[in-house]
Amino acid sequence: MLLALVAAPAVSAADAEEGHDGKLDPKEIIFEHLGDGYGWEVPFNHHVRMPLPCIVIGKDGLHIFSSSRIADGKTYVDGKAEFKIAGHDSKYKGKIVEIVDGHEEKPIDISITKNVCAIFITVLIVIAMMFAVARFHRRNGFHAPRKGLGAIESLIVFIYDSVVKETLGDNAKKFAPYLLTVFFFIFTMNLMGLMVVFPGGANLTGNIAVTLVLSIITFLVTNLFATKHYWKEIFWPDVPLWLKFPLPIMPAIEIFGMFTKPAALTVRLFANMMGGHMIVIVLTLLIFIFAAVNPVAGGATTVVSVLFSIFMLLIDVLVSFIQAYVFTMLSTIFISLAQAKEEHHEKKVEAREEKENKAEAAQLAATQK
Amino acid sequence: MDLFTPDLGLIFWMFVSFAVLFFILWKFAWPVILKTVDSRADLIDKGVEYAQNAKQQLDEAKKNADQYIADARRQQADMLRDADRIKTQIIEEARSAAQVEAQKVMDAAKVQIEQQQKEAQHQFRNQVSEFALQIAEKVVKNQMADTKAQTKLVDKLLDEMADKN
Repeated sequence: MLLALVAAPAVSAADAEEGHDGKLDPKEIIFEHLGDGYGWEVPFNHHVRMPLPCIVIGKDGLHIFSSSRIADGKTYVDGKAEFKIAGHDSKYKGKIVEIVDGHEEKPIDISITKNVCAIFITVLIVIAMMFAVARFHRRNGFHAPRKGLGAIESLIVFIYDSVVKETLGDNAKKFAPYLLTVFFFIFTMNLMGLMVVFPGGANLTGNIAVTLVLSIITFLVTNLFATKHYWKEIFWPDVPLWLKFPLPIMPAIEIFGMFTKPAALTVRLFANMMGGHMIVIVLTLLIFIFAAVNPVAGGATTVVSVLFSIFMLLIDVLVSFIQAYVFTMLSTIFISLAQAKEEHHEKKVEAREEKENKAEAAQLAATQK
Repeated sequence: MDLFTPDLGLIFWMFVSFAVLFFILWKFAWPVILKTVDSRADLIDKGVEYAQNAKQQLDEAKKNADQYIADARRQQADMLRDADRIKTQIIEEARSAAQVEAQKVMDAAKVQIEQQQKEAQHQFRNQVSEFALQIAEKVVKNQMADTKAQTKLVDKLLDEMADKN
């Protein structure tokens, strides 16, 4: 399995090498692997792609067609509209463009790309897992499941008890469904990303769009369910008057803080996962770079690179869990900060400071990763 | 660097997928799972509490039983000691009663013996005196054939009697 994991990028890298007339372009390969695509590589063959539906809204309305029609630089003509994937020299490189009067224009593109398809697969897997656990509970009442279901359930209990309940207290019931969904969605996406071939291999959580959506949802949940006290703390905080009256310095900082939290969430998950993928690919590419210099050096690098790749992939399994956990924990903390109540002000301030310390510590730990 | 510019299509599908995922799980999975997990935690807590109580009660019961056993032992020992004491007492009493009785019997016997002795003495004396009288009669009869001797004897006897008295 591990060999397959490492072998796959190697095979595709070799293919890429041939594709560019023997000239190796590491940057190109790395970004091709980390990026999205209209079609999904068949396992261990970089050229044959499974076609996926392309959905674009061009100048004259909706067009749906198979990605195989625009593969390998072909142009698809549907009525008057012409579509193709923009070439290397275009500013829309790699995206579907509509050719209007000779130039390329970007249509509204909601194609089922490789990443979208991977999201669907992940959704199905998460639903299947949770339904299995729910069905077990419905049938067996208090009995704890064993084996696979037991592992899933222990994760649920771990997040629910030690993250959600611990931080949110009485509100745990209200937010637990969202937070648990987020955790399992991210965790599954991370692990699927580590599998090199279909149905894994899409670099989902290492894609900024995915993490952005997740943190926007956390931002919405945080602020839509926020208490009055939270808004008061933002617009009229407990500081000397001159800090908030003619010039709203503190409110400005607080509002800025509202947006830095989801930004931090977005970038942390994105950078960590992308970094993990990138390291493995770079390690694999090292073999080809050195092999081009000297065959002996290439052979030696193979051993080192394969060992390091295996090591990094194993670390990435750990990172997958940690990042899902950190994202969930920080979301929980942000939500709990917005649940502050007036009456226990002193206590809450202390708790808040404590939570913020905890959050900072977690961020620090996550960054060090 | 399209990696750092979020793609609109992906954002759209991500939103839709997450919404669908969340809705389905929120509607069908999480309520059941969380309810079971919570109630199981409660059940375990209660079970632990119950077990602790049971253990406490058991300990108490054991302590009580030990106490009862110790009490019983003590009572038994007391009773045995009492019985022993009573036994000795009874024996003592019986012995003294027997002694008293024996004394009484002996006393009575002694009295009787004395009486009988006295009686016997008396009788013996009477017989002796009778015999003496008879002998004396016989002697007197024999000797009284001779008046002189009779007189002499009477005198002698009288003298003797006078001496005695």
